[in-house]
Amino acid sequence: MTSKELIKFTPLKSDNTQDVLSAVRALSPWAEGEASSIRGNMAQMREAVLAIDPTAYGRTRNHLDGAVTQLSPFIRHGALTLDEVRNVAIEKVGPKEAEKFVQQLTWRDYWQRLYEKYPERIWHDVEDYKTGFGPNDYADQMPDDILSAQTGTACINQFLEQLLETGWIHNHVRLYLAAYICHWRRVKWQVGARFFLTHLLDGDPASNNLSWQWVASTFSHKPYFFNLDNVSKYSGPDINTKFNANKEIAGSYEALSERLFPYMEPKR
Amino acid sequence: MSTLIWLHEDALRGDHPVFKAAGEGAEAVFIWDDAYFKSEGYSFKRLVFIYELLAALDITCLQGETAQVLDSYAKGRDIYVPETPNPHFKAIISELRNSHNVTAVPDVPLVIVPDDVDLRRFFRFWNKAKKSALSPSVGPLL
Ligand SMILES: Cc1cc2nc3c(=O)[nH]c(=O)nc-3n(C[C@H](O)[C@H](O)[C@H](O)COP(=O)(O)OP(=O)(O)OC[C@H]3O[C@@H](n4cnc5c(N)ncnc54)[C@H](O)[C@@H]3O)c2cc1C
Repeated sequence: MTSKELIKFTPLKSDNTQDVLSAVRALSPWAEGEASSIRGNMAQMREAVLAIDPTAYGRTRNHLDGAVTQLSPFIRHGALTLDEVRNVAIEKVGPKEAEKFVQQLTWRDYWQRLYEKYPERIWHDVEDYKTGFGPNDYADQMPDDILSAQTGTACINQFLEQLLETGWIHNHVRLYLAAYICHWRRVKWQVGARFFLTHLLDGDPASNNLSWQWVASTFSHKPYFFNLDNVSKYSGPDINTKFNANKEIAGSYEALSERLFPYMEPKR
Repeated sequence: MSTLIWLHEDALRGDHPVFKAAGEGAEAVFIWDDAYFKSEGYSFKRLVFIYELLAALDITCLQGETAQVLDSYAKGRDIYVPETPNPHFKAIISELRNSHNVTAVPDVPLVIVPDDVDLRRFFRFWNKAKKSALSPSVGPLL
């Protein structure tokens, strides 16, 4: 290839969304789906940095409407450093009060270090499953009803819709979806991880895939799963948590564990 | 000829230490690599987000296959690149080193810990990293 054939372009600095979308479509007509309402807008990013509230974060971060920052897509693509976010948090409330928030920032740093040191772990089981099943018991394909957000479980469908439309979901929702896909539907974590990487704006091989392995139990001591009571506790009124619409995930942890992992060795 | 900065998708920011390391007048490029985006499975949402981050930067965008485009555009110039764990980018960097001087520049770190820090589980790491994590910035490494 000679440099004459190089295709150069200047990204539009336009406030007109339609112009930007048309420009991206023209560059990469193969790309599937629509744009998200979450945009790569630096002014919005700055506002979100100013709004960081480490105290409220420590109290509410597990709630789907808690004081989380939604800064992950900017951090993932290096538009914002963990260092700067940490400095802002500490300046606002001091190191003690900011600890929970800074600890979450450090998760990203941790996953990045693992990626650097053990790149093969991104797609390969770090350890065996502790679910009583082997890798071959898990499906290699994502079921269609998940791809179209039409499973038999109402809250899961709402979570899937949010992922498909906006490309950002709360950490707790990521855990619910990953556990649902991996343990209720017994799909390989790699298939779920790939699905997330396609749709998350912050999709990151390390944070995403290693978290999937944590849920699956190939990088943790036991599988992560949840129940309907937990979803009810952490979600607001906009999420449908009625029993009749969510029977599959309803029940005590003991009952669900027996149903999902009938061959799991009892913990000694 | 000016120095080249290859800004990839892990470092879409105008004050990454790579700019200072490359010096005044360096030309920053981003390669819009459809084959790479496809291999990562990116949907349209992600491309729009990346495009918008690029629009905020003073950068030359080139469309094509990353290794090829860089090689032909750099034409032997010195290249500076933000450090990345991405194995695909690392392979391109080592390939470029056959014909160019390439310097990888680390980002401002969140924590300073020994290289052999225990990474087996997060909380082991956190115990070692906590003090550094809860202290304000040390600034750029380079
Ligand atoms: C199955 C699963 C998949 C995930 N995939 C990704 C992914 O692809 N990309 C990604 O950035 N995060 C991922 N996470 C981690 C976490 O869910 C998101 O970083 C977080 O929800 C982003 O929202 P936020 O910016 O509001 O985070 P906040 O809670 O406001 O935290 C601030 C920043 O800290 C970092 N962070 C916080 N928690 C974590 C964590 N547990 N792991 C890594 N970084 C963290 C992120 O950069 C985040 O933007 C995943 C988690 C799970 C359980």
